[in-house]
Amino acid sequence: MVMKTRIAIIGAGIIGVMIARFLVEKGVNDIVLIEKNYPGSGGSFRCATGIRASFTSPEHVEMMKRSIELWPILSEKHGFTYRRDGYIWLLSEEEHVEMFKKIVEFHHRYAVPTKIITPEEIKEMVPTINTENLLAGVYDPLAGKADCFRALLNTLEYIKNKGAKVLTRTKAEKIIIKDSRAQAVETNKGVIEAEKIIVAAGYGSKKILKNSGVDIPLENLPKHALITEAYKPLFKPLLIDWSTASYIIQVLHGGFLIGANMKEKPDTIPVNRIEYLYLAVKIWSKYFKWLPYTRILRYWTGYYVMTPDHHPVIGPHSRIENLYIATGFSGHGFMMAPSVGEIMSQYILGEKLSVPIAKNLKLERFEKGKYVKEIAIFG
Amino acid sequence: MDPEKVIICRCENVTLKDLLDAIDKGYTDLESLKRYLRIGMGPCQGKYCLILAASILRRRLGKNYDELLLPKNRPPLKPIEAYYFLKPPKEAKDLEV
Repeated sequence: MVMKTRIAIIGAGIIGVMIARFLVEKGVNDIVLIEKNYPGSGGSFRCATGIRASFTSPEHVEMMKRSIELWPILSEKHGFTYRRDGYIWLLSEEEHVEMFKKIVEFHHRYAVPTKIITPEEIKEMVPTINTENLLAGVYDPLAGKADCFRALLNTLEYIKNKGAKVLTRTKAEKIIIKDSRAQAVETNKGVIEAEKIIVAAGYGSKKILKNSGVDIPLENLPKHALITEAYKPLFKPLLIDWSTASYIIQVLHGGFLIGANMKEKPDTIPVNRIEYLYLAVKIWSKYFKWLPYTRILRYWTGYYVMTPDHHPVIGPHSRIENLYIATGFSGHGFMMAPSVGEIMSQYILGEKLSVPIAKNLKLERFEKGKYVKEIAIFG
Repeated sequence: MDPEKVIICRCENVTLKDLLDAIDKGYTDLESLKRYLRIGMGPCQGKYCLILAASILRRRLGKNYDELLLPKNRPPLKPIEAYYFLKPPKEAKDLEV
């Protein structure tokens, strides 16, 4: 098989689909998405669905703020649920409160409206929570959540109706580069010639690029999550227990999804470990006396695709023409996907970037040693 | 039988009509149907609905079973009250709190 297309996107996760979506909106519909499994099959469908701009680097904050402007537009146009339900960090130690005061100051400089709140205020938003051990909380009213399944599938349906093609169960092996120009994608089913090639294949991007002579510093970090059966809506914000860096979110469908840190080595395949269930239940039963009576429905693992500075690689390759990369989201790909889609479409079509600081996120920063700096990594 | 009155997935209340419409829309494997319709995501974990959906999909499209992409089974086998996990395990060395 030899196929020809204007745009080839490797990876039909939320990132690839959003890139295609913003191109389609600008009249570019000669697009082929190359997906090794099925759309959404990597991190997109295993994520916690949270969305926030309360980060501590200007790059993250600006990209996420743009995403938060785009999420409601996409939600309305493509008919999936998105809600600004907020995030609350739960703080039980004095030094954490002091650190977050500085973080909140940083947020305000970038017009992210976080604030320190009292245990009483937490209780108003999260009825039934035990605030006994809490000193304070940090509330981010701009944060929210979306339905990760319909966000991807509905958007995909839309771009397919506009002419984009998706090749599922098709594995990209390498990119054929001649005279420093990307020319085609070699897959297990044949060659796809393209004018522009975008690698948005999560951790898989590393091998595809390596086979093409391009190094990218990515690590696959295993993560664990569980979800309970669905219950009626109890609280809206995603909660983060800062002392254990664990979170709980009642997803839009009603289940309580819990993520907690387990010791894992990068680039290993995670296995289910019963200790995870003990850990998750222990942390959150201290806050909710009803939690032990919920029923655990499912336990799964996934990955954060980490870069050395925990920021994504977004943009064109500096030396290989027509090659673009969007991967390494370090656990924040779903929330950032809309602005990544928009920025990538702007790079590809030679337009002005809607988030100018995104230019700091190109792959070349690692060669130049220009790492993106965060004042604190939380959540 | 009216496909609107035939329930394929009792946990998530999905009818045969929902399933046939989704197949016609292009959701032609079980992994995608699971996320689109939520079949297999309720308390039965797909024990009933996924097998039903698989046979309907196979009849409709003439696919082999291995082309249907049967979703992974995730633990626990059936929903279990969280209180069974309140007491810490004997081997707690893997815990990072």
